[in-house]
Amino acid sequence: MDNDNNIDFKDLWKRQSVSQPDMQDLLGRLKKFKKTSMRTFWILNVLLFVTCVFNIFVWYYYQPQFISTKIGIVLMVLTMMIYLFVHNKLLGKYRNIEATQTNQEYLQNLILIKKKQQFLQTKMISFYFISLTIGICLYMYEYASRMTFLNLCLAYGITLSWIAFNWFYLRPRKIKKQQSKINSLIEKFEEINHQLES
Amino acid sequence: MEFEEIYKTYWDRIFRLCMGFVNDYDAAQDLAQETFIIVWQKLETFRNESAIGTWIFRIASNNCLRQIEKQKRFPKSELPIHLSEEKQTSLEPQIQFLYKCIAELPETERIIISLELEDVKQTEIAKIVGLSEANVRVKIHRIKEKLTQKFKENGQR
Repeated sequence: MDNDNNIDFKDLWKRQSVSQPDMQDLLGRLKKFKKTSMRTFWILNVLLFVTCVFNIFVWYYYQPQFISTKIGIVLMVLTMMIYLFVHNKLLGKYRNIEATQTNQEYLQNLILIKKKQQFLQTKMISFYFISLTIGICLYMYEYASRMTFLNLCLAYGITLSWIAFNWFYLRPRKIKKQQSKINSLIEKFEEINHQLES
Repeated sequence: MEFEEIYKTYWDRIFRLCMGFVNDYDAAQDLAQETFIIVWQKLETFRNESAIGTWIFRIASNNCLRQIEKQKRFPKSELPIHLSEEKQTSLEPQIQFLYKCIAELPETERIIISLELEDVKQTEIAKIVGLSEANVRVKIHRIKEKLTQKFKENGQR
């Protein structure tokens, strides 16, 4: 309310020293940026393609007799495809979040995406693990059934304990680490969004 | 408008907006560059529905909000504590103090006051941030009071 202030904020503000970088610098950075984003896209999709080819190869070359083997292969491929698909889609959404909306809309979108990421990192990871485990067990059955009982126990025992290690040890640790990060981020964005409401 | 022209016209203004947000020269330089990368990518989609300035400032302020995710990488530059004891022969400490104060405000207030100081019309600020014009006016008034208060406390006048 006091009008005795004669600090010229605008004048001070504009006196901040600024150096405009050469536009060539910017264009160079742009090229690099494009390259790296294309690279991750290709790595993911080549990986998916290779896995599919490998499975088709197994199918043709070993000519599995049991239906369980075939279901196992389909399940494994499907699981990986679904996971990569959801992951790719979310990544794309995050990258292409409309930058020209108002701050308020933008913040709401950011929160939404972060919540989806939260879902991906918890529920989706669990689905991925369970589905992949079933797939592997089914797939192994045909070959394991030809083994002696001891070898069968050994084969399933090693596989399942490796999965159990991942499920009970690595998974919760990874989830916990990511969750605390993402939760604090959601909280922060919500707090900023709230600033606009008050 | 050609990209090069936009770049030359808006670089300084965008840089100051980013600087007000992070108060770190290198980080602000990065943020400003990122902004222009987005502008470059999106320029084709720009239709004259809004003023180009509004459009660019939206991109810049959204990009500032987004960098919160990477914030821990940018430690804020610290200011000498006994500023008021320095001889006020140059305006430099005052400029630094202003940017420091702004970067300490809540995030949305940093954007609003930076746009105001950048002489963006309040109607446009409302369109950038997504608030009503009346709301923007009230906020600007309050922020300026806060800043004046801080300057007084620090003996910067």
